[in-house]
Amino acid sequence: MSKKINLTLKVWRQKNCQSQGGFETYQAADIDTDMSFLEMLDVVNERLTREDKDPIAFDHDCREGICGMCGAVVNGQAHGPMKETTLCQLHMRHFKDGQTLVIEPFRAKAFAVIKDLSVDRSAFDRIIQAGGFISIKTGQAPDAHAIAVAKDKAEWAMDAAQCIGCGACVAACPNASAMLFVSAKIDHLNTLPQGSAELKARTLNMVKQMDQEGFGNCSNEYECEAACPKTISVKHIAKMNKMHRQSNLR
Amino acid sequence: MSYQTFDIQRSITRKQTVALTGLLLILFVIAHLAGNLFIYGGPETFNGYAEKLEHLGPFLKIAEWGLALLFFVHVERVTVLIVQNIRAKGGLKRYIVDNSKGPRSWATRLMPYSGTYLLLYLIWHLYDFTWSNHEGSRSIINGKSYGLYGVVVNSFKDPLHSWLYVLAMCFLGLHLAHGVQSFIQTFAFNDTHVTRGLKKFSRLFAVAMVIGYSSIPLYVLYVLKV
Repeated sequence: MSKKINLTLKVWRQKNCQSQGGFETYQAADIDTDMSFLEMLDVVNERLTREDKDPIAFDHDCREGICGMCGAVVNGQAHGPMKETTLCQLHMRHFKDGQTLVIEPFRAKAFAVIKDLSVDRSAFDRIIQAGGFISIKTGQAPDAHAIAVAKDKAEWAMDAAQCIGCGACVAACPNASAMLFVSAKIDHLNTLPQGSAELKARTLNMVKQMDQEGFGNCSNEYECEAACPKTISVKHIAKMNKMHRQSNLR
Repeated sequence: MSYQTFDIQRSITRKQTVALTGLLLILFVIAHLAGNLFIYGGPETFNGYAEKLEHLGPFLKIAEWGLALLFFVHVERVTVLIVQNIRAKGGLKRYIVDNSKGPRSWATRLMPYSGTYLLLYLIWHLYDFTWSNHEGSRSIINGKSYGLYGVVVNSFKDPLHSWLYVLAMCFLGLHLAHGVQSFIQTFAFNDTHVTRGLKKFSRLFAVAMVIGYSSIPLYVLYVLKV
């Protein structure tokens, strides 16, 4: 049975990346507990629009937890308090009636605020581009069996490939480091025989791009893993550390 | 595709430099403790050990300068990383609610502070024991000079002196509790199977070092009769 709750929202409002932002307080009244967090923001925005006020800008797309577009920091936690959840899959039943929620954008120097809760994550795209291409033709679906891949390696690569690039790892990292994202992207290709031909160039170039984008350094605090909606493991960071060392020295 | 190897400016390389110097410093911490424990053997044993070290001559000098270099590289690289991290998150203040979802521990949060305290303590410790006069008034117990043994015993008979030492060792423990597991992650000795044992090992090692080191001033202060 769904019920209705009332919330107080303290939302970060910022016109653009040049302007100074600040918190605004809104009442979110009569919120159905079956709503997702984004649907709750939709309701608040509809009311703001009716009052002729500027609606809160936030990123969203698929709303089923697989695109990596949405994301905000709710009460200091990226994607809110639940584990393994994107903001669109976070339901209002996890909040109490009368609770105050502080909603902030993912903060990092490399993620400039576009407007309000919407941030520019094109730094991630440039890291992917720096990784370059895969030269081996993988063929059609039946050809997938042509190259044998050990079960554990296939699993490992698939675990890494789950990354949706939402940026929660950067938002949650006390140093705004992108190591979890980059390690997942590097590792899911490097682990497979089809991707290992460019292992060295991919590893070195993607890490270099990561540094140039102004992300911080990993200090092994594992906050990224806890915030990741796809439970990417910090084991991939260890693996990237190793691959980078080996590629750097050879 | 083109790429550049042996690029020491990369974040991962920098971190691995910190981790490697950290490991070598941990080896020093173990060796130093092993040497210190000779104090339980009495003045002859302890002073004998100290003299053996002195007789190493040029090798001791090399070891000392090597250690100084290790400390310098460790601190310098870490400072660069910290400055970059502050810049990357856009200043010291980030989210108004400080609410972590993960396993971030106090040992981790306090790393820069425990490190700074240890560095300051180290300088004082060198001034206090290593560079002090081992035959002067501080070495005399009951009218007889006991060399370095006497200096150590007289110093640790002062509760403030002893407890400052114990405090420094607690900070060392905090630093090691994060440092050891961090080293293993950074050098990826765990790349296929991260175990819970890793953190446990790191903490156990830290506790062992704290107990080992702290036992000496506490033994002198509360147990040893002169």
